[in-house]
Amino acid sequence: MAARRLLLASLVLSCSLLPCYGAVLFSSLQKTLAVTASPTSGQVLKGGVDKITVTWGLNQTLAAGTDSTYKTIKVKLCYAPLSQVDRAWRKTVDRIKKDRTCQHKIVARPYNSANKTFQSLEWTVQRDVPTATYFIRAYAYNADESEVAYGQTTDAHKTTNLFQVESITGRHMTMDVCSICFSVFSVVSLLVFFYIEKRKSKRSQ
Amino acid sequence: MEIKGKATEKESQSPKFTLPVDSEHKATEFRLLSVAAPHMRAFHLSWVSFFACFVSTFAAPPLLPIIRDNLNLTATDIGNAGIASVSGAAFARIALGTACDLFGPRLASASLILLTAPAVYFTSIASSPTSFLLVRFFTGFSLATFVSTQFWMSSMFSARVVGTANGAAAGWGNLGGGATQLIMPLVFGLIRDIGALKFTAWRIAFFIPALFQTLSAFAVLIFGKDLPDGNFRPLQKAGAKPKDKLSNVFYHGITNYRGWILALTYGYCFGVELTVDNIIAEYFYDRFDLKLHTAGIIAASFGLANIVSRPAGGLISDAVAKRFGMRGRLWALWIVQTLGGVFCIILGRVESLGASILVMIVFSFFCQAACGLTFGVVPFVSRRSLGLISGMTGGGGNLGAVLTQLIFFKGSKYSKERGITLMGVMIICCTFPICFVYFPQWGGMFCGPSSKTVATEEEYYLSEWNTEEKEKGLHQGSLKFADNSRSERGGRADSETRPADETPSAYV
Repeated sequence: MAARRLLLASLVLSCSLLPCYGAVLFSSLQKTLAVTASPTSGQVLKGGVDKITVTWGLNQTLAAGTDSTYKTIKVKLCYAPLSQVDRAWRKTVDRIKKDRTCQHKIVARPYNSANKTFQSLEWTVQRDVPTATYFIRAYAYNADESEVAYGQTTDAHKTTNLFQVESITGRHMTMDVCSICFSVFSVVSLLVFFYIEKRKSKRSQ
Repeated sequence: MEIKGKATEKESQSPKFTLPVDSEHKATEFRLLSVAAPHMRAFHLSWVSFFACFVSTFAAPPLLPIIRDNLNLTATDIGNAGIASVSGAAFARIALGTACDLFGPRLASASLILLTAPAVYFTSIASSPTSFLLVRFFTGFSLATFVSTQFWMSSMFSARVVGTANGAAAGWGNLGGGATQLIMPLVFGLIRDIGALKFTAWRIAFFIPALFQTLSAFAVLIFGKDLPDGNFRPLQKAGAKPKDKLSNVFYHGITNYRGWILALTYGYCFGVELTVDNIIAEYFYDRFDLKLHTAGIIAASFGLANIVSRPAGGLISDAVAKRFGMRGRLWALWIVQTLGGVFCIILGRVESLGASILVMIVFSFFCQAACGLTFGVVPFVSRRSLGLISGMTGGGGNLGAVLTQLIFFKGSKYSKERGITLMGVMIICCTFPICFVYFPQWGGMFCGPSSKTVATEEEYYLSEWNTEEKEKGLHQGSLKFADNSRSERGGRADSETRPADETPSAYV
């Protein structure tokens, strides 16, 4: 009986500790942030070259005090469902800690609830962003670094207003030349060896 | 041991060897730390070049998190590339086995390694799922070097130590599959820290295994020798080694049923090892929520166990053969491989992380030791077509990997743990045919040697040559081998009086 009470108590205790252990569910968040981005629907951006202007802030139609707990805003680049198909490493799960939808951080800024103006940033698409279809989402964090609200540039089903990024290949002319040269060298050196062997055996006869 | 008496006239002509040798000049001892030419040098050259090929073939998996983003791969693309990487070698092994019989292991292996090196260089410039699949497919051909290591060891080491030599060469080569999981992320990290971008750093990193592969092939060509007495071509020209025909080598290889049985059973020790190399990191990552880095280390430890497990298999084979001969080798193989299957079943059913790691390590030992034990038997199946039989067995290993991945680990039909359990069941079933391997001169698992007086080693190995060829004296190599393989009768054979003056003149 005492053991059961202890188990129950520890369960309750651990449940209350859960928010500190990152068990926040996305479905529990409220969409209170308004986020807009410069790319138009279907636009293709080049990695390392093109820029995105992101604007975010609290939705003005909401009651005052909604944002009293917000301390930080993190804006992230997120994969659209199209780019998640057959790619379990980009899966969307409800538990935000485990969610792999938004893997690229654009910016993190402290939030001042007194300042009602929208913040914006011009961000160059980084060169390690892969080729895929994206949308942008902003999370609001409280003082405990837990998510409390969000906003995104697309709808709830993540089907509208998506844009694409075309990443760098990572290839360079030098690398191409080296690959080809070394490959040719390998094959030619084999032929050279054969020739030397043949000459040696002819000479020894 | 050196055969006294009629060998004395030859001894004055033959070169002095550092290790003790038999009548074929094969070493009768295996000294791991020596690099003496030609025996131990051949050992070190063969395992290092095979290691390089394994590093290249499995260089992509640890870097997949970066490659899949750069090349926009899906899980299906990755799975297909994984299957492609092991399927090419299935037929390349048979081809290389035949090439060894005809041209010698030195030229055959170095040619293959240098011809597949371009595939590794081209991995650096892959730009799509298709090109990725193609480079992995062609790089995988280099795994056929396994056959040349086994052929080379079987040519350099006598029956007493051939199991150990084969097991150590193959085991330390297989180590590459584990080592690469540690090497590639390290090299990638270094290059990225120097200042390269992620998508460029992984490409540059691939030059390392490619260069290693190229250099190891050069070492084999410059420092290696096919046989203790020299290389194939000079020996063939001097008449000391007869040149054989492809069609004959082929015929005698494929008509030997033991080669087919060993091909099947090898598919369920080595094939299983390759399959596990491809899926185990993901299994631990998904089932136990580990970090990719941690899952990678656990995955590496499966391949790294080869450093002791496969040579141990070879040692066990040789040790058992001393007392029980070939029958002991067959029993040991069947027992160890079946136990491997049992532990595989347990691995799929175990629920906790700690227990899973423990069971995996025990499983890896039995699975890899079985590979070593298989190649304690293979050198005795055929003398004329040794390369082809080694190739068939090796190829069977790769086919086992392809089959197992297709049946149990493609798509979402079975969860990974269920797939692992079913794979264990299949291991047990496919190991059973070892019971049917029978050598008339030594026996099989359940039957003793044939009581007919004609059932001798000579009879068995010379049956591969017809009267015409015997008249030309082409069978002399097989004759010597038959004599040296008498130790496969087991401990009781030592007490028999060796008929030292019974010359094989009856067969000339």
